[in-house]
Amino acid sequence: MKKLLKNLFAFAIIIFPLFMISCEKEQTATEGTVLVKLNHGWGMSGTSFALNTNLVHPMNGDTMNFSKYKYYISNLKLKKADGTFWVQPESYFLVDLSNSASSSISLNNVPVGDYTEISYTLGVDSARNVSGAQSGALATTNDMFWSWSTGYIMIKAEGTSPQSTNGSFSFHIGGFSGQYSAVQSKTASFGSNQLSVSGEKNTEIHFNVNTAMTWCNSGSCAAVNSVMMPSALSLQMATDFNNGFVFDKIVE
Amino acid sequence: MLQGPFFIPMKRFSLLIILLAVLSCRKENTADNSLSPAYPDYFPAPVYQFNNNTVNKDRFELGKKLFFDPVLSLDSTISCAKCHAQVHAFADHNVSLSAGINGLLGTRNSPSITNMIWSPTFMWDGGVNHIEVFSVAPITNHVEMGESMLSVIRKLNNITAYRTAFKKAYNIDEITDQAMLRALTAYMSMIISAGSKYDEYRQGKTSLSASELDGLNLFRQKCAGCHSEPLFTDYSYKNNGLDSVFNDLGRETITTNSNDRGKFKVPSLRNVELTYPYMHDGRFWSLREVLDHYSNGIVISPSLDASLQHSIPMTIQEKERIIEFLKTLTDWNLVSDQMFNK
Repeated sequence: MKKLLKNLFAFAIIIFPLFMISCEKEQTATEGTVLVKLNHGWGMSGTSFALNTNLVHPMNGDTMNFSKYKYYISNLKLKKADGTFWVQPESYFLVDLSNSASSSISLNNVPVGDYTEISYTLGVDSARNVSGAQSGALATTNDMFWSWSTGYIMIKAEGTSPQSTNGSFSFHIGGFSGQYSAVQSKTASFGSNQLSVSGEKNTEIHFNVNTAMTWCNSGSCAAVNSVMMPSALSLQMATDFNNGFVFDKIVE
Repeated sequence: MLQGPFFIPMKRFSLLIILLAVLSCRKENTADNSLSPAYPDYFPAPVYQFNNNTVNKDRFELGKKLFFDPVLSLDSTISCAKCHAQVHAFADHNVSLSAGINGLLGTRNSPSITNMIWSPTFMWDGGVNHIEVFSVAPITNHVEMGESMLSVIRKLNNITAYRTAFKKAYNIDEITDQAMLRALTAYMSMIISAGSKYDEYRQGKTSLSASELDGLNLFRQKCAGCHSEPLFTDYSYKNNGLDSVFNDLGRETITTNSNDRGKFKVPSLRNVELTYPYMHDGRFWSLREVLDHYSNGIVISPSLDASLQHSIPMTIQEKERIIEFLKTLTDWNLVSDQMFNK
């Protein structure tokens, strides 16, 4: 009996490291990580976006002081040089400008190779708007969910402005169906800068996001200081935000 | 050799390894505590498919605990059960407009939440598209429970009993809104009303009286256009002629289409005897008042339903018969079923 236990112990000692080894990754890299870096500016003059700071709108002249600026980006995919796509699974991200880490989106396990373009959706696709309780970036605890008329808010921007009749502004832009759907998919070509995923080092895709664009056609806060549901105006603002979301460069 | 309080003697260690290895190969304990909705064969297939949320006893009991717990409201004064009372077939009772925290009043009367798994949309205006996210609306509405989802989840995570119950039901260490919403769904999805006298009649287990049968035939002629059997609603939105000036735009709030002005979802008439007061704003307290409205009280407005342009002519005797029939839709088993009680 004693011997048996001893043998078992020896067996366990041999088996245990085998378990450990089997959990380790293989050495030859077949996948790499790509970071999507979102650089948030205000206007075209190189001003950085900042919360709790007076920012003067380059077009309508409003002074806007943001307490909150959040938006969804989803369904990222990369097009390979051979025309096929790598599609990120569970690709939903809440970019919250109060949390700088959320401005860097990690695309993990991207197969090694060359890529020519990236596609993404600003907002949350309609499928996830009709499929019940979600998790992660799509959790209702993120306060980006319309409970009274089911759907995710695409952009939530709140703050104060002396131009506003009540001193504050609150723009909740969203809607996933019908004529005012704010959800828009977009593709950015890398042009001559191909993205090479080698697996040895992280590659970065940089976007410039002009956060002031959202108000480039909406007029002053003096006229409209609140959007709370889908409308022609909210669609215009979503489109303008989208136009301010521009591929910059590949950084290796 | 290692010594001290964490040292495990060799023999026991090797046994432990073997035991762990054996356990890891075992399937999860599948003690059958699953629950599934039971309904007659003349019911349609449910809309809710229980994807990722098969109901079992743990989930049902957890959902029930949440349903009765005022912790879901801002000041811990209001639970779901307050406005959805089992004795009234899970509708509000005694008030026209349901009161929220601090006695705040909205513009609507809480409807019954029976047979939710057949409903394609939720709320009087159909603004909610899925049973799992339905509960977010009353929890976060400022004139209902007035709470934020983040705060609710924080509060629940601070209660040991809930952490244990969520671990058991959903195998999670940290309570999430998704699990909370699914637990509430697990409870609500089982609240099925299919045990009325009408159902027993449909199944050949009992017969209706002559006047009840009269009422059924009259109902089929005059009411079933919208309140279609067997769920007694077609889930459409109608302006049923209550007003010409609307303080609650109803469906238009959701669609922004003025053709939807003053339209509200056709409610199921199952248990209608118990779900008074009636209409989205609880303005009528008796079934007789409701039928009088349809025969003599229709108010004309641009979005009025076509079927009500000339009212619904009914004699006093016909109304009495229809009401007799409507009372056969009361599910006394459901309203007394201990399974749904705290």
